[in-house]
Amino acid sequence: MDKPLKNVLEIKNLSVEYHTDFGVTHAIDKINLKIKRGQAMGLVGESGSGKTSTALSILRLLPRPAGIKTNGEIYFNEQLLDSINEKKMQKLRGNRMSMIFQNPLTSLNPVFTVGEQISVVFQNHYKMGKRESLVRAGEMLEVVGIPRNRILDYPHQFSGGMRQRVGIAMGLACNPELLIADEPTTALDVTIQLQIIELIKELQKKYETSLLMITHNLGIISELCSVVSVMYAGTIVEYGTVREVFMNPQHPYTIGLLNSLPKIVGERNKLTAIAGSAANANNLPEGCKFYPRCPHCMEQCKKDFPPFIHLSQSHSAACYLYEDKSGGKINE
Amino acid sequence: MSKKELIRRIVRSKFFMLGFILVMIIVICILAGPRILPHDAMTMNLSDRLISPQWFAKGTNGYIMGTDALGQDLLTRLFVGGRTSFLIALFAVLGGSVLGTFMGMLAGYYGKKWDTLIMRIGDVQLSINTTLLAIVIASILGASVANLIIIMIISTWVKFARVLRGEVMMIKNKEFIHASRVLGASNFHIMFRQVLPNVTTPLIVLISQQFGQIILLEAALSFLGMGVPMPQPSWGTMISEGRQYLSTAPWIVVAPGIALMTTVVAFNFLGDGIRDVLDPKMKH
Repeated sequence: MDKPLKNVLEIKNLSVEYHTDFGVTHAIDKINLKIKRGQAMGLVGESGSGKTSTALSILRLLPRPAGIKTNGEIYFNEQLLDSINEKKMQKLRGNRMSMIFQNPLTSLNPVFTVGEQISVVFQNHYKMGKRESLVRAGEMLEVVGIPRNRILDYPHQFSGGMRQRVGIAMGLACNPELLIADEPTTALDVTIQLQIIELIKELQKKYETSLLMITHNLGIISELCSVVSVMYAGTIVEYGTVREVFMNPQHPYTIGLLNSLPKIVGERNKLTAIAGSAANANNLPEGCKFYPRCPHCMEQCKKDFPPFIHLSQSHSAACYLYEDKSGGKINE
Repeated sequence: MSKKELIRRIVRSKFFMLGFILVMIIVICILAGPRILPHDAMTMNLSDRLISPQWFAKGTNGYIMGTDALGQDLLTRLFVGGRTSFLIALFAVLGGSVLGTFMGMLAGYYGKKWDTLIMRIGDVQLSINTTLLAIVIASILGASVANLIIIMIISTWVKFARVLRGEVMMIKNKEFIHASRVLGASNFHIMFRQVLPNVTTPLIVLISQQFGQIILLEAALSFLGMGVPMPQPSWGTMISEGRQYLSTAPWIVVAPGIALMTTVVAFNFLGDGIRDVLDPKMKH
């Protein structure tokens, strides 16, 4: 491509809170993200770290009335999403930005054939007739590796992996610029996981779709993505290319995360784990959210949230360790 | 569910078969009966009054079920009265289910203000006895077939609304509804094309059960003189007219009574049967 790579998605200072009867939950705290055209970004973090909330706020589908976006802007193709009305947003969803869901067993409507469900996407966005959209639905099924004649089958006649393929077909039906995959393989067994990952990878390359891959499976990230953001308690703690982050993790949380992967070869040891338990989003610590569990915690960490330290052109971490260690060497 | 499986379940469900056959017999009788029988439902023949059932002694020309105090053939009146009852029940159930479904979906889908408003109106209405409510409306509007249908719609929509609201609340939080919203579906599309097809089973069951109930209510109102106006036969009015002759000519009351009971039982069986067929997991 000749023209410079545009940012398909840009999130600036996004904060999201959930207001419930039990108090205010800070789900996301001032995160920044950028995804370029055709780029695949991984978003890792443990359960409750705000990954899905990020995805939902991009689609403007935070659960109402509890979920409130309190701060920040989201740009989609350099257009501010907050400024457009609900009707236009509906036209964007499924058409130019789309999503694949975690559980293929529940994300398809049981009373419609898969053909009808895929064709509804065409009917909603392209104002297509029933017959034409069914033909297109058949084509989409073939793209995801399901024989065309199965458009007349109901979801319960498919296996989990097949249903996730249908989910992918629905997500990619209108050839979106941004595809959000929210743990698309969590509900599947390992061999099927690989197939689905390969399929997403292949289609993402083929259609030049930007991908936001939400998962807690680090293997999937390394297989599929070029850049990765690590989330902890609603903040992004480390960002960089997959190679840099996985080969040379800098933030203590990322280091802990990678250390806690079980090793298949070598001596059998007890699995290393990060001490303590995940931060309670109802009662987050001041300063760096990770300090209560951090082996390198300093006094400063307890007061202020550390700024992003650029470790290389494409690698940064939010940690005071590096300002102290290599203050002069930071490469902007 | 494939067609084969559907048929297998239908045949295996005793309730469905029994209810279906009974309903079919009743429908055929009330549609074909008055054409076959030689008598007219509203022609009086005072010399033949209060004749006891002759059964088939004179073939179809005689008074098979006997005559009433005005010498009208009871069986003919039974069939013609059944037509009125079924017609009223049909329109009332259609109207009530459409109104109730719409209200229930509104309440269940949008929740909050809509839910409070619609369901409180429903609660208030349910706190008043249905028959009493119907009598009040009937005395305001006057007795006619059209008014009866309006009364029935007003008194049945709540039952549909309550069931639908619960179902919709359950369905609307399913992931596939969320998925279709993410894929750009509007509220209208989600309500009518994603949620509604998922609640048809309870809707069909309720419709067939309410059908019997409405026939019963119509008979009760007609019995009290608030229903179908006089010369036109209806099961309720027939029972009402015949009750003076209960000791001397009991058949006048017994015939419409049995017809009424059979119809209500048939529709209740059909309703249970449909539920067994469509949703075998839901055992009460």
